[in-house]
Amino acid sequence: MGKDNTADSTSLLSRNVEIDGEIQGPENLHIDGHIKGSIKLAGDIFVGNTGVVEADLEAKSIVIQGEVAGNVMAHKQLEIHPSGKLIGDCTAASIDIKEGAIFEGRSKMIRPAGLSTGSSASAKFSTPQSPKQQQS
Amino acid sequence: MALFGKKEKEKFAKKEKEKFVKKEKENKVQRRETGSSQKETTYFGRNLKIKGRVSGNGNIIILGGLEGEFNLKGRLKIAQPANIKGEVKADVISVDGNVKGSLVAQKRIHLDQTARIEGKIDTPSLSIAEGAHFDGEITMSGRSPHALRPADVDAAPSFQNTTKSTPK
Repeated sequence: MGKDNTADSTSLLSRNVEIDGEIQGPENLHIDGHIKGSIKLAGDIFVGNTGVVEADLEAKSIVIQGEVAGNVMAHKQLEIHPSGKLIGDCTAASIDIKEGAIFEGRSKMIRPAGLSTGSSASAKFSTPQSPKQQQS
Repeated sequence: MALFGKKEKEKFAKKEKEKFVKKEKENKVQRRETGSSQKETTYFGRNLKIKGRVSGNGNIIILGGLEGEFNLKGRLKIAQPANIKGEVKADVISVDGNVKGSLVAQKRIHLDQTARIEGKIDTPSLSIAEGAHFDGEITMSGRSPHALRPADVDAAPSFQNTTKSTPK
């Protein structure tokens, strides 16, 4: 309730709750419970210590402190903490794997999403032609 | 006699204190293990769309969309912008939002002013606020047997009818 900005609200899945299915939307999600299926969010995903995810994840930034089994796609950054475990392939613009973390799978780097403004990296990589910006 | 009583009292107090300390310790250990989960309520924001099954123990507040099934041991609040399609089961359900499907509660259901329900309700105890929309049928199961006597059910409406017609 404290946040007026609806696009930036964070949903919470607590420890004893389980979801079996598909989750999507422009939200951030904090997972301390159990998810099976797939998650596709425009916001960030945070998998807490007690979180167990058996799903493909797609989000802007993803932080893993719990367990994830599935393919992970982070348009911005993937972070695996010492307590974190990722079994599956990851695709990310930037990865940060801390000492002690477990990661089994392939890793593929992508360019940061062109939509993100203010990032110098995206400005460097963005293609020069911009037909939409031409003014009559 | 008086001395004995005092001693007994002291003993009792000591025991209570020990019990209390032990409980506190247990609580602390539990808190450490579960993190801050004691006050945690699962919260699904208004932008979140879920397709599938949500189950577990605890309290849930949903503001977003769900297509599928809720199976919860605890309280469920379906808040205003929420849109639920499917079957909802919980101990206590409170509705401010929209539901198409069935609501089944072990304890009670409350429909608030802004609630819009299309479907079935099954609960031992129900309250509906003025302004709520409800299209469907209600089953009140799990009541004590005398509350379900058909004679009472028949008598109640006829009594109401007579009282309504007399003033005219």
